[in-house]
Amino acid sequence: MAEAPKTTPAARTPPLQDEAAVIVRAAAGDRTAFTQLMEHYQSASYGLAWRILGDPDQAADATQDAFIHAYRAIKSYRGGIFRSWLLRITANASYDILRRAKRRPSSPLPDPEEGAPELPDAGAVNPLEEATKSELYRHLERALRLLPNDQRVAVVLCDVYGMDYNEVAAMTESALGTVKSRIHRGRLRLRELMAEHRELFLR
Amino acid sequence: MLNQDHPDDERLSALAAGDTEATDDATLRAHVTSCDRCADAVRDIGVLRAALADLPDIAPHRPLRLLPPVEAETPSAADRLGLWARRLFAPALTAGAALAMVGVVGTALPTLGGMAQSGGADSASGPSERTAAVDAEASAGQELAAPFATGDAATGEADGGEGATTLGAGTDEEATEDVARDSAQADELFAERSPWPMVLFAGIALMIAAALLRWILVPRAG
Repeated sequence: MAEAPKTTPAARTPPLQDEAAVIVRAAAGDRTAFTQLMEHYQSASYGLAWRILGDPDQAADATQDAFIHAYRAIKSYRGGIFRSWLLRITANASYDILRRAKRRPSSPLPDPEEGAPELPDAGAVNPLEEATKSELYRHLERALRLLPNDQRVAVVLCDVYGMDYNEVAAMTESALGTVKSRIHRGRLRLRELMAEHRELFLR
Repeated sequence: MLNQDHPDDERLSALAAGDTEATDDATLRAHVTSCDRCADAVRDIGVLRAALADLPDIAPHRPLRLLPPVEAETPSAADRLGLWARRLFAPALTAGAALAMVGVVGTALPTLGGMAQSGGADSASGPSERTAAVDAEASAGQELAAPFATGDAATGEADGGEGATTLGAGTDEEATEDVARDSAQADELFAERSPWPMVLFAGIALMIAAALLRWILVPRAG
């Protein structure tokens, strides 16, 4: 499990084949090219929004807000990994919605196993995903939902999507030290929550 | 090993994530290599981070709109003007109609009230009362002049006639001044009433201006 790939895992959308060319066309105002990019990355964007907001409809709203922002901003896109660029925009749109919803930073999301929203099928993107991994993902997603809002957002942005501490601090308008502390405490809490599923990590 | 010897758990998380502030700490690293509890924590957090980084993307539960609608594009200057004209149209029309209504009521009330109400009757009859008073003064002047005339007539016709004429002329001038003063007061009264038609016209003008601006600035289909 420790050898699990950290960059571009199989279950995450890889870049488009001729991505650079499509981006150039989209930046020049080609709406078809832009649609192609968004269609390709919609699962990536939606996944991030869902993990921050924990609600399917709000996640869909945040993703669409992000696409509108991306449409306006793509003219000024200056290279780099497109997926990361779009995910930063999505994270901002999601955090805006989270802030507007005025959820208490210290409260967790509703526990999906106590009713309320269903967890998405983690294997939906890759139907060949092993059953064990699917189970691990399911438990991890549930454990993430049980973290307080501020810790969950910080852990999701940093550990799930690989943003650095400074990016997370800027996005959540928090001090660097506060963000680090949230991430560390979030990880420690996740470790406690996942303790009963240790065997899933070790297989 | 005693509990108080363990580093803070957040330091272990930092070490597991490879943060330089933790990896550069030789004491921390030395402790972890010699302490099973802390080594377990660092390993668990490492495994946990790897699993988090491996979480798959999630397909949306409903179809998403991939392109913003065309209106979401930055509007041109002309479009923005049109937008403002459209936004201001209803409030301006309402304000104009309200002004015109106030103007109509303000103009009509004193006229209507003048026939029925005492307040209106006062202002309407004021000038005529004053005119009557002036007439009375004038006639009194003539009466005053009359004895002189008759008195003079007894002593000398020519002188008396002249005196009577002079006196009579004097009172006539006073009367004319009074009438002029009174008509000026009457004008003031009219001037006090004059804002109402102005309000009415301003209201109508505002409505016409709003309609014109909208017609000119808002782009029409086709």
